[in-house]
Amino acid sequence: MPPAAVPPAALAAAPPVPPAPSVPPASPATGPAKAVPRPAPRRRQEPAEAETDVLPKVAGPDTEPTDVLPRVVDEPEEPAAEPEALAEGAEDDGDEAGDAGETPTPTRADRIRTSIRTVGELMITAGLVVLLFVVYEVYVTDWLSAGKQHDATNALDERWRSGQDPLLEGGERGEHYNLAEGQGFAKIYIPKFGPDYAYTILEGTTDQILESGPGHYKGTALPGQPGNFAVAGHRVGKGAPFNDLDQLESCDALVVETSSAWYVYRVLPLGGEVENWTKNADSKGNQPRCDQVAPLRTKEQDGGPYARVPGQEIVTPDRGEVIAAVPNNPSASVPKAQQIPLITLTTCHPRFSAKQRLIVHGRLVKEWKKDQGKPGQLPPELKEG
Amino acid sequence: MYGWIWRKLPGSLPLKVVQALVLVLAVVALLLFVVFPWIEPLLPFNQVTTTG
Repeated sequence: MPPAAVPPAALAAAPPVPPAPSVPPASPATGPAKAVPRPAPRRRQEPAEAETDVLPKVAGPDTEPTDVLPRVVDEPEEPAAEPEALAEGAEDDGDEAGDAGETPTPTRADRIRTSIRTVGELMITAGLVVLLFVVYEVYVTDWLSAGKQHDATNALDERWRSGQDPLLEGGERGEHYNLAEGQGFAKIYIPKFGPDYAYTILEGTTDQILESGPGHYKGTALPGQPGNFAVAGHRVGKGAPFNDLDQLESCDALVVETSSAWYVYRVLPLGGEVENWTKNADSKGNQPRCDQVAPLRTKEQDGGPYARVPGQEIVTPDRGEVIAAVPNNPSASVPKAQQIPLITLTTCHPRFSAKQRLIVHGRLVKEWKKDQGKPGQLPPELKEG
Repeated sequence: MYGWIWRKLPGSLPLKVVQALVLVLAVVALLLFVVFPWIEPLLPFNQVTTTG
């Protein structure tokens, strides 16, 4: 056993002692021992023992003398000297540690090495955990939310089929509705985001509800009603229904379906477009699909109650007035019946941040009553790309 | 740390590999389904509503 483990330590000393092969046979123990002090410093203590157990090492790689010397001289002392020598040699070249590193008593250097290694491992682990969190946030929550959204949609379809719709049960649609929190009651389609873009909107905006899909701010108007139908949705993870909200342009359709009707909202002119909305023949405001979309600003001095409602705005999170019945003007006293039916979508901004909110405002331009005799009829706006 | 765990795992090499995989998966599952859902609302990444 000793000869097997010894060579690595000896290798360091090998260069200066090439003539070794000739030496050992000549003088058994004393002579060569003087040549040996080079390896000895590596294991600072016990020079006495060193001279005995070093010898075979030097000779180790070379052929004949090796097996002779250790056998004869060192038998009794080897075991005592070996563990320490091995411990040091083993640390230097990790491969050797396997067979020799199990037993030695740890030195101070060992302990320091171990603790540094452990700290390193913990830091690498922490980095991996953070990466895993990103994966969780961006992908895993999507899968979890997809299931919840699916369930909410199925439940809503089931209720619609069986004729239970809290929006209708309230009698005159509006005032006295009683939506259960967390329950789906409408669907939103945004044709610009593709023909398969459809989400069931649930009542309420708690974190838990928003995991299932876009949530309707309690107390704001219902689809099609005068006032502001306000909906919040995630932008990153959790299904990310409002991921691309920033890409909406003025006049893009936002279609909301209830059990009885389709409501087509369109995004209002963006801030920079208000000025020249219908100025030239090719202005945005003159495109056919912008037919009923126009800046809400009136000719009054102050622009009227709706003067500050652009198609898109970015605000700080404390700006609750963006979802007021008259957005950005909560103190306006516009009678309910004269309020413009608006839609407001809110999500976080920029992506991965809670610093601001991205707000999109749209107004109702068309209402398609569902013909109960022809289920499956779709409004033409859904085909807009 | 990981070396210590590896040495503590009993059995032959393939057995150790299997056990190590199971351990890793258990930790990942714990993080994904318990720790992250709990910690997420406390982090400022994904608030989408306005308060006013």
